[in-house]
Amino acid sequence: MITLGHFLALSAVLFAIGLFGVITRRNLIAVLMSVEILLNAAAIAFASVAAYKDPVFFSGQLFALFVMVVAAAELSIGFAILLNVFRHTGSAATDVVEEMRG
Amino acid sequence: MSVLGFAILAGLVLAGALVVVLAENIVHAAVALAFTFFFVAGLYVLLGSPLLAVIQFAVNAAAIPILTLFIIMTTQSRRVRPAAGVFYLVAGVLAVVFLAGLWAYLGAPQEAFRPLSPEGLGARLLTVTLLPFEVASVLLLLAMVGAVVLARRREA
Repeated sequence: MITLGHFLALSAVLFAIGLFGVITRRNLIAVLMSVEILLNAAAIAFASVAAYKDPVFFSGQLFALFVMVVAAAELSIGFAILLNVFRHTGSAATDVVEEMRG
Repeated sequence: MSVLGFAILAGLVLAGALVVVLAENIVHAAVALAFTFFFVAGLYVLLGSPLLAVIQFAVNAAAIPILTLFIIMTTQSRRVRPAAGVFYLVAGVLAVVFLAGLWAYLGAPQEAFRPLSPEGLGARLLTVTLLPFEVASVLLLLAMVGAVVLARRREA
């Protein structure tokens, strides 16, 4: 029998993997991909809690839906900014945007 | 609803995510991202939510990896240089600390699972959460226009 704990554990491990990627990756594209993994881990947690704890109102599953919408919006804007960084500096690595360091 | 199905899906999702995070070739990472999200859609089917599964498949497993590959080809960044060892240390510690939270779930009560009906989900989406639904569509429109404006080549 699959329990809520199974899904939450999977979500936690997935989140940890994404967190590892966000910190260790040096290419901005790879960082954005890791952020996508983080958002998906959160969506899995929302959807599974909704399925087990809230079988009438589905609020968590609707929340997972909105997480996907925000993820898509974030990714498109992030890639547009990345394209500008690439045109300015000729590279997509994280350490080329050091001018904003402060 | 077999534990075996869940174990296979979960293993594939975690393996895909590890490839995304660790692969040296960034094209491999993008393809692994597509597979990861495809198997996450399978998890949504397991959770009794075909609507979420279809949207996950169409948006996250198809559109986003294609966009990612476009950007990879545009910026010609095929490979990533490894980060400094300090970053790996910090990331490893953070990941382990986060995983420590897993222990809280091990004692969670075992509950039976009841599948949901997608009809109720859709009806609720368009009645109770109608306002967030419309705000989300405006957000998507803004993101589209914003991405076009930001990525446009400036003349002069």
